[in-house]
Amino acid sequence: MNMNKINLALLPLIAVLVTGCGDDGKDGAPGPAGVAGVDGTDGIDGIDGTNGNLAVFTVQITNLTYSQPLSPAAIVLHEPGYNIFIDGEPASTALEVLAESGNPSDIITEAVASTEYLDAIASDSATAPRSIGNVSTLLVPLLDVDDLRISLTTMLVDTNDAFTGLNAADISNMTVGQSVSFMAPSWDAGTEANTETASTIPGPAAVAAGGGGASAGFDAARDDLFNLVHFHPGAVTSANADDASKEGLNTSVLTEADRWGNPTAKIVITRTR
Amino acid sequence: MKLIKVASAVALACSSSVLMAQTIEITITNLTHAQNFTPRLVIAHDSSVDAFEPGVGATSALAWLAEAGVIDDAQNAASSGQNFEALLGPTDTDNTTNTWHRFGGLVAPSTTSATYSFDTLDKPYLSILTMLIPTNDAFAGLDSIEIPTTPGTYTYMLNAYDAGTELNDELNSTRTDIVEQDTGNALGGYGVPGVAGVGASPVELGVGGTGVAVKVGFAIDGSAIGANEVVDGTDGPVHIHRNILGDTSLTDGASDLQSTEHRWLNPVARVTITIPAP
Repeated sequence: MNMNKINLALLPLIAVLVTGCGDDGKDGAPGPAGVAGVDGTDGIDGIDGTNGNLAVFTVQITNLTYSQPLSPAAIVLHEPGYNIFIDGEPASTALEVLAESGNPSDIITEAVASTEYLDAIASDSATAPRSIGNVSTLLVPLLDVDDLRISLTTMLVDTNDAFTGLNAADISNMTVGQSVSFMAPSWDAGTEANTETASTIPGPAAVAAGGGGASAGFDAARDDLFNLVHFHPGAVTSANADDASKEGLNTSVLTEADRWGNPTAKIVITRTR
Repeated sequence: MKLIKVASAVALACSSSVLMAQTIEITITNLTHAQNFTPRLVIAHDSSVDAFEPGVGATSALAWLAEAGVIDDAQNAASSGQNFEALLGPTDTDNTTNTWHRFGGLVAPSTTSATYSFDTLDKPYLSILTMLIPTNDAFAGLDSIEIPTTPGTYTYMLNAYDAGTELNDELNSTRTDIVEQDTGNALGGYGVPGVAGVGASPVELGVGGTGVAVKVGFAIDGSAIGANEVVDGTDGPVHIHRNILGDTSLTDGASDLQSTEHRWLNPVARVTITIPAP
């Protein structure tokens, strides 16, 4: 009996299956969207940062000479591979401009364009003889502190083309508060003969003799004995020009007081952050 | 990985415990404005050898090097028995206390470099000497530095010393118008220690100079001697050179050197030593 009842109940189903051979009906339109869920709670605060991500270095130049003012300096912090100059090779035009006129801006422009550049600044003033100069501040990403170089050039302005500074000195891995100092010799840019005349020296010694200034600075002609950067032989000056020794250069506007010995500058670098 | 590291460390330890030849690279750079370097004497040595010492008088070997640029017999037979070859022994040989080599030719001024390979034979110290020409007896010296053992590149700046074996008269050695007092010898070129030795100059040398540290025709005390005679005195012991004076005249004045070109400020040379990886 039970069996029969079940069979009867299946009959309409079979009928549906048979009629399924016709076209399907269209789906109904979707129902309306549900309401938005409740917002989640805020996340916990992040840990504090470590004073940003820059290391801060200060650079200070002491002029060790008796009477040679030092021009504003081009100071560059960089990765290994960059050089403002290489002694034994001809000077770049940017270095020639600095070494002959005391203007650091071309070197800064050149540095900023280099791939190893990290930061560069022209110090804000000249450094008088026998004095300590102003502090310059430079910033370097923390990541670069482990392999860091400093290059610096500044002109001895009562000369034709003498400069002092640092050539890619290694200041890697300085700790906060640490200072390092370098004693710098003086180079000859090799771009101008050391005639020591009023019309070729930009500094005050030439101004006092009726020359000097910008017109006595940069001259694109290269007329030194060798067109190569090398260590400077010192100023000859006009001392003893007229006595029997003829040691001095009678065309020189410099006096015995304008001479110098090495080192010419002390450069102190401090990491302050 | 760990095993390999240990194995290589053992190999390293073994190799360093055996005395073996160590060939290093030496580059010397002339930083001056207008001074040539004569052939370079490179010595690897133990603590018993001291090629020069400031405050101590020069040996005859140092006098030959600083006055004439002569290191061995092959350069100048007259130096036989007095030169560094006589002092140190045969070249490129293990002379127990040292081994040495002369690297020939001039190194020109204004930052010209020359690079050499040199076998130290595991001696602990290194000295390098080269004369500055044109000068009487100036030389650039690397004074017994300890040879580094860690592979890498090391840089040293060299100062100019005065050997003190000859007064700095700054007279052109090719001049024939003046002679040495007592011997009557002509100045006769830079190969003779004792008189002005200026040698090959990158720029023209003058003539007619009357002498700087000592005047032609006068003894050191100022008394007159023969008008064409110059005193052959000494100004030792070895000390930092006070630089040449020079003058601006090629025909008279005190010096036959040029004050605008031949001067220098220390350092005068840079030496770079490369210790190769083992």
